[in-house]
Amino acid sequence: MDRIPARLDQAPLDALRQAVGGRWVLTDPDQLRTYECDGLTGWRAVPLAVVLPSSTEEVVQVVRICRRSHVPFVARGSGTGLSGGALPVEDGIVIGLSRMREILRLDLDNERVVVQPGVPNLEVSRAVAPYGYLYAPDPSSQRVCSIGGNVAENSGGAHCLKYGFTTNHVVALTLVTPEGEVAHLGSAVPDSPGYDLLGVVVGSEGTLGIVTEVTLRVLPVPQRVQTLLAAFPSTDAAGEAVAEIIAAGVLPAAIEMMDRATIEAVEFAMHAGYPDCGAALLVELDGPQSECEALFGQVVEICRGCGASEVRVAEDEAERALLWKGRRGAFSAMGRVSPDYYVQDGVVPRSQLARVLAGIRELEGRHGLKVANVFHAGDGNLHPLILYDRRSPEGPDRAKRLAEDILTLCLEAGGSLTGEHGVGRDKVCQMPKLFSPDDQMVMHRLRRAFDPEGTANPGKVLPTPRLCGEHPGIYRPHPLELSGAAQRL
Amino acid sequence: MTSLEADLEALLGRDSVTPADGRAGPTPAPTARPRSAEALAEVLALANSRRLAVLVRGGGTKWGWGRAPGRCDLVVETTALNRLLEHEPGDLTCVAEAGLTLGELQRLVASAPGHHQRLMLDPPQGGDATLGGVVATAASGPLRARYGTPRDLLLGARFALADGTLARTGGKVVKNVAGYDLGKLLTGSQGTLAVIVEVALRLHPVPPASCWVVAERLDPQTAQAALAALRRAPAVLSMAELLWPEGRLLARLDGAPSACEQQAEIVRALVPGGRLAGERETDELVRMIERRPWDGEGPVLGISVPVNRIGELLALAAVGGPVAHLSLRGTVGAGEARLQAGADPAQFAARVADLGGFVSWHRGGDRDSPPLQPLDPVAARLALSVKRALDPHSTLAPGRGPV
Ligand SMILES: Cc1cc2nc3c(=O)[nH]c(=O)nc-3n(C[C@H](O)[C@H](O)[C@H](O)COP(=O)(O)OP(=O)(O)OC[C@H]3O[C@@H](n4cnc5c(N)ncnc54)[C@H](O)[C@@H]3O)c2cc1C
Repeated sequence: MDRIPARLDQAPLDALRQAVGGRWVLTDPDQLRTYECDGLTGWRAVPLAVVLPSSTEEVVQVVRICRRSHVPFVARGSGTGLSGGALPVEDGIVIGLSRMREILRLDLDNERVVVQPGVPNLEVSRAVAPYGYLYAPDPSSQRVCSIGGNVAENSGGAHCLKYGFTTNHVVALTLVTPEGEVAHLGSAVPDSPGYDLLGVVVGSEGTLGIVTEVTLRVLPVPQRVQTLLAAFPSTDAAGEAVAEIIAAGVLPAAIEMMDRATIEAVEFAMHAGYPDCGAALLVELDGPQSECEALFGQVVEICRGCGASEVRVAEDEAERALLWKGRRGAFSAMGRVSPDYYVQDGVVPRSQLARVLAGIRELEGRHGLKVANVFHAGDGNLHPLILYDRRSPEGPDRAKRLAEDILTLCLEAGGSLTGEHGVGRDKVCQMPKLFSPDDQMVMHRLRRAFDPEGTANPGKVLPTPRLCGEHPGIYRPHPLELSGAAQRL
Repeated sequence: MTSLEADLEALLGRDSVTPADGRAGPTPAPTARPRSAEALAEVLALANSRRLAVLVRGGGTKWGWGRAPGRCDLVVETTALNRLLEHEPGDLTCVAEAGLTLGELQRLVASAPGHHQRLMLDPPQGGDATLGGVVATAASGPLRARYGTPRDLLLGARFALADGTLARTGGKVVKNVAGYDLGKLLTGSQGTLAVIVEVALRLHPVPPASCWVVAERLDPQTAQAALAALRRAPAVLSMAELLWPEGRLLARLDGAPSACEQQAEIVRALVPGGRLAGERETDELVRMIERRPWDGEGPVLGISVPVNRIGELLALAAVGGPVAHLSLRGTVGAGEARLQAGADPAQFAARVADLGGFVSWHRGGDRDSPPLQPLDPVAARLALSVKRALDPHSTLAPGRGPV
């Protein structure tokens, strides 16, 4: 970009007001501060303005104004992201999609739903539930996070083990390109012609344009759901059970693991009645009754064979809720036993779970900090919670170093930098650990094919030398999390 | 020997170069068969610097998919890149070179002691198809009803750009959101963006038992209604094929023996005239599914329609219509159609478009045939800038594929 304004000039500001209406362009410093960070609150920046368009046409106009005036923009859904993806750029504007929250069409004969990007994830399932359908991707922030944000992050959830991630459930979308044009990518019908640009836009973290309409695939609600909680002497034993379940060809809807530190915190904070043990597995199966029943017995046997001292089976919906209670409350429980914590999001091959968990225990000792593990064991997506005290002199720095070491451990085991929270701003400088300069160059070329001027969410996903000298601030829990409205997974 | 052949021989050794022949088009072109990803990248860089047109070839089983390329000076064949690099049964994943055939991969992963796994893709002529070719054509078969298509099973890839750059995308774990998902972009790109040299794939366990339900002489509306009921029934279909014009529905259920028997019973009851098929008949059905609709002459089109318009599509495939044979995956509304000898593909495409569907060439699309479907103009422009960003000199299969 040839020119970067320090503040928004009058001309583009007027044009923005004209485009969306004066009250939907925020410039008051107090209002702007609401938008200074996403769920990763250690990174903050105040944008020049926040613009809240109400339609694809308005987004087009706003993006064209940005382009003409060389003002970078950052798309924002509900701001629950955990990688600083919606972190504003100081010399740019935020385009908030929160006013575009209509469910536009249900086409259940074809198992499709068309929504605007600001619709909260859970609203989709609520809209189709009366007809016996559900929207499968279920991030724990689902009451709040937007479909646009889910698309941008390719979000996952506990039940993605069986059903796949957002990318497997988005069949078409409308994209306002960074050049201000409207592209229709994908189709409600499979096998649409052309390159799979849809597949590239999903997970692109707002760097390839703004998604203004999304066609989702919904699924019939399964006939049967069965849930168990198994208590193991150690995470090794629980990890072994996970490996055996997967290798036996059983595909549960969810397999979640909690280690002793997590179980103790849960018991301390909410008396969930979990067994006193080294590790617990929560396993849920769903599908046709016949299939569930056949496989459930197998899972119980595998758990026992791997040393489970106790296997609790939920007999009804109330008991199922009880089993999930501790899992769902694990993060807020952690807030009760530790002043601060940082959530890492790394992935390892499932066969390496036990080894990596042992590695994390060793790092705990070396860094002198406690780590609690509560995570999506079925697909190897770790979420170690690093407990620290930000008031202690070295607490935050140590936590950060430990978090990075854990990530290194994941990569050494053949895993990935992030399983669902994205690269955003937080991990941009870690990308070289996973991708060679050539790998990044190809991604950069792709980005420029969509965004020749570099106005869409600059400074995210791909590292630049300017970015990677800086340091993130310390982690503070997201307000949602404190209020108990959502859990961090 | 041309100077190109000599240079290729110098680069790869004599065994890896076949002199010019006519199999890639009217102008004879030599074939290079590099033995490593690095050597393949060097061949591409050489061709790119001389502004040659390169066609990538795997097993050659889908050579006719997509529009025929405008020109070809060099064929780069991936079949010497044929190693299985990793198979971790506990992770249900594998990493293989792109020239390994699907048949060979299935054999290798099935042989891991104590595990019985496979890649759940069954594209047409699949045994001889290479993994890179299957991904590049996004080819799938009946199993997509349950397991999806290559885009759903590809975890990561290594590829060479026309300028010889070797790069990776994704990884080998089943969950991963680091960086752009270029694997999706390569899937179905028909060798026009990059040459895939390595793929990481998700595997599935082979189910212990299977049951088949068969019905014959269904009419289009009954078939559509039966499938609508099946999609919501408490039964997981691994396949649900419609074979037309004979009005046949074939459904397969997999799982534990008791579970698949119970589900087969549910399916049987929902399909008019439905019955369970015995073992011998099942073998025959499998062979029939593999042959159809490829047996016989005439253009074959990939085809898809909304599932609530399947009945109307089937009506087009009635005896005497433009379609000789139709094989449709009923749960997703996608499959293949072989047209009658004299039928006009463009006219047929227009009728499918009226149903809200798409067609593409799988056989018989010649150099001059127009793209059968207009793309969204802005999407087309984006596709073109992606092509230019990765292959600025249009070295790879110029004229083929979507742009
Ligand atoms: C308590 C808690 C629990 C969580 N649990 C999970 C979980 O289980 N699984 C999981 O995957 N994630 C989880 N997350 C992370 C987060 O909720 C997801 O990443 C979510 O998809 C973000 O949605 P959002 O609407 O808040 O997006 P934002 O945070 O507003 O934005 C996220 C990214 O998307 C881009 N973006 C937003 N809207 C658009 C659009 N319309 N077009 C283009 N780009 C856009 C932004 O620029 C940014 O890069 C959790 C977060 C919290 C705070």
